[in-house]
Amino acid sequence: MRNLVKPVKTIGLLTLDTLFWSKKTLFIAAVSLVIVGLAVLGRLILSFSWIRVPFTPEQVFGTLMATAVIHFLVTFVTLFYGTALISEELEGRTITYLFTRPVPKPAIMIGKYLALVWISSMLVIPTILVSYLVLYLGPDTTRLMRDVGTLGKDVGIVFLAMLVYGAFFSLLGAWLKHPILVGLIYAFGWEGIISYLPGFTRKLTVTHYVQSISPHADTASAIAMMIGERTPALESVITLVLMAAFFLASASLILREKEYVLEQ
Amino acid sequence: MSAVLEARNLSKWYGQVIAVNGVSFSVDAGVTGLLGPNGAGKSTLMKMIMGQLRPSQGEITVFGQRIWNNYPLFARMGFCPEQDSFYERMSGAEFVSSLLRLNGYSEEEVSRRTDAALERVRLTADRDKKIAAYSKGMRQRIKMAQTVAHDPEVIILDEPLAGMDPVGRHEAIQLVRDWGREGKCVVVSSHILHEIEAMTGNILLMHNGRVLAEGDVHQIRELIDKHPHNVHIRCSDPRRLAEALVGFSDVVGVRFHPEGNALTVESRQPDAFYDRLPGLLLSRGIDLDELTSPDDNLQAVFHYLVK
Repeated sequence: MRNLVKPVKTIGLLTLDTLFWSKKTLFIAAVSLVIVGLAVLGRLILSFSWIRVPFTPEQVFGTLMATAVIHFLVTFVTLFYGTALISEELEGRTITYLFTRPVPKPAIMIGKYLALVWISSMLVIPTILVSYLVLYLGPDTTRLMRDVGTLGKDVGIVFLAMLVYGAFFSLLGAWLKHPILVGLIYAFGWEGIISYLPGFTRKLTVTHYVQSISPHADTASAIAMMIGERTPALESVITLVLMAAFFLASASLILREKEYVLEQ
Repeated sequence: MSAVLEARNLSKWYGQVIAVNGVSFSVDAGVTGLLGPNGAGKSTLMKMIMGQLRPSQGEITVFGQRIWNNYPLFARMGFCPEQDSFYERMSGAEFVSSLLRLNGYSEEEVSRRTDAALERVRLTADRDKKIAAYSKGMRQRIKMAQTVAHDPEVIILDEPLAGMDPVGRHEAIQLVRDWGREGKCVVVSSHILHEIEAMTGNILLMHNGRVLAEGDVHQIRELIDKHPHNVHIRCSDPRRLAEALVGFSDVVGVRFHPEGNALTVESRQPDAFYDRLPGLLLSRGIDLDELTSPDDNLQAVFHYLVK
């Protein structure tokens, strides 16, 4: 097992380099900036009372987290990077170099997945921190310090969501020839609709478990929570971790067994 | 004792298309040339040897073991793929060392082996240059460096000479011969008989997914010499070169190309022709831009053999 640490790290670094310098990163960074821009706009509205709204920084931050970050940015980042993990190597026809070394294919998948989690965290977590500071920073630091616990919980939830979505989209990337379309349908179709339906089917979405442990509630998730109980926090966390492990194991298995035919 | 590589009734098909059809052969230490026109099934066969493709039927073994998903075997094998694909942002040295790390070597060992491999393919001076800035010949050489950096016992080279200039070609041929002499099992593919012949006398002749002949190259040589061998030359002064060439008895035709700086020569003795060409170019101060041998004449020989 110890012998695999170095190959996994090398695969991770190779993947990180490829992902970081891809056009996707520029696009995702731009989307992250839009979210920070929304936080700036919220702060200006609150500071200068441009419109009479009964909102507090906590509410603006909560809405931003529940809608823009968790439901959109996290899904978007992991979708674009996760589906690219294998397909970029196939399109670039560099996968041969990895597959002809004495490294088990599951180790290749794990190295790539770790790179995905790392780069996603590097883009999403600073977006959360900067948005928090923009909304809370002021002469009175009491409020800033008071909600640090919520901020920490948010970062943890976002990280968990990235683990699950990242593993799921890695699975699609390893499995399908054109994974991005299926990924989009899943992310913004299945997850977006099913998680708000009453009954058991909601439990077949990642969103449900994330909503169950989220300290914030946007309008949509509030409705979802009204029509059905939240899953207990510990159960939700365990389910999310198990989901991530299952998706990653499936992706590794597919990578191991599937025959990838490179286009001539 | 079993052969290093052994294929038994090996077939591979993609849907309705048969790429390799019931091939059986065995290969031992030394250089074996895999010769065949484009589309003969050479690359598919090499990918099956390297465990990149799963046989549809039959079996392939390396050192008596099945290769598919047999990761430890890759420590003993090196593969130079046909495709001109790289992690372009890396330098040559980074590329080789990254792949060596996958073999689990220590950093000192990675560094030592990277230096040795780059030295062997004469890329030491350009080791820190980005691969994206490499010439086609340098890109071929860096592929060869990663193939042999871990000192494999089996070396599989898919069209390694494609795109190389004459000097690079000569050096690469020497390398392949050296590896064969060192006792490694080298399988090298090409669609150009002259290239294979320069590396080995032992060939596997492939056409339409089948192995047509296995063994000594001389019989094939005799067959091919009955057909004019086309050589496409792009140079600074094709007319002066043509004047010099037409005096030789083996040259049976010269065609100029519309773009004005190229000609195709038909020779019945390609060996003599290739030996003579550098001297002719040098003595007349003609610069050589490109030297290629179109596939057509080999295709003709294959048709002849099939009949």
